[in-house]
Amino acid sequence: MTVTDVVTAVLLLGGALSCLLGALGLVRFPDVPARLQAATKPQTLGLLLILVGTAIRLEFESAATLLLVVAFQIITAPVISQIVGRSAYRAGTMRRDDLVVDELADPMARSDLPGPARDDPSS
Amino acid sequence: MIRRLPQLFWLTVVWVLLWGTLTPATIVGGVIVALLVTWLFPLPPMRDPIPLRPLRIAALAGFLAVDLLRSAGDIAWETMRYGSRARAGIVAVPLLAGSAHAVALLAGSVALTPGSYVLQIDRGRGTFWVYTLGIRGEDDVERVRRAMLVMQRKVIAAVGTAGELADCDRGLAAGTEKTP
Repeated sequence: MTVTDVVTAVLLLGGALSCLLGALGLVRFPDVPARLQAATKPQTLGLLLILVGTAIRLEFESAATLLLVVAFQIITAPVISQIVGRSAYRAGTMRRDDLVVDELADPMARSDLPGPARDDPSS
Repeated sequence: MIRRLPQLFWLTVVWVLLWGTLTPATIVGGVIVALLVTWLFPLPPMRDPIPLRPLRIAALAGFLAVDLLRSAGDIAWETMRYGSRARAGIVAVPLLAGSAHAVALLAGSVALTPGSYVLQIDRGRGTFWVYTLGIRGEDDVERVRRAMLVMQRKVIAAVGTAGELADCDRGLAAGTEKTP
């Protein structure tokens, strides 16, 4: 067992653990935004660790492609989570009683910003 | 055409990486594909040049990597310890970055951090709102506000202008003052 083996094993297992925790969060968390966090972020980290772990064992040509996958994952994942998260807030699927603090509710209610559906008196 | 050159270069690099071999055929193919892509999907021209500071960008990448690992741990703890009783909050943070690309990079950086993402950006009022998982009290709110300001400082140091950087330092000095 070489150092490379150990590093690869740690990275692969760490990535798998991260994905598992993400899946657990998806089941356990109460509302859309919280589940979204569990569904996107640990997945990104998990994939990242697994691909880096794999890349270490490969020759450079194949490893470069894997790094490209990592780069695109990092670029695209935040955009998705952001768009779905914003929609969740505006559609009123966020469990408001679970929010400890909501500093956005006030500005939304008294301004031109499109407010969350539940707080809109006309709806 | 000159303005499209960096774009052509990077698209060609991506193409060559996808093939995994550096041969004349892949390079020529990459240039052809890059020309096609930039011709079919032209990007709007940038009005102001982006100041790129390689060292600061590397520092930001390192900071984000550490942040990614640490927040992944936090979220794992929140999952195991609280689960369905997990609590979250929406925190208003002063927006100190002015240029569009700095704001975009900031939003991306926040979204990459497990447990938080940007809900709303109001450039007119200079405020953005961050949803964060695992907030339990007033202390956590101030901690998140502070952390967001620190991240903002790093983003602006990487791609912001000197003026933005000065504004940001003033904002940091003012502390975690609440925005109206």
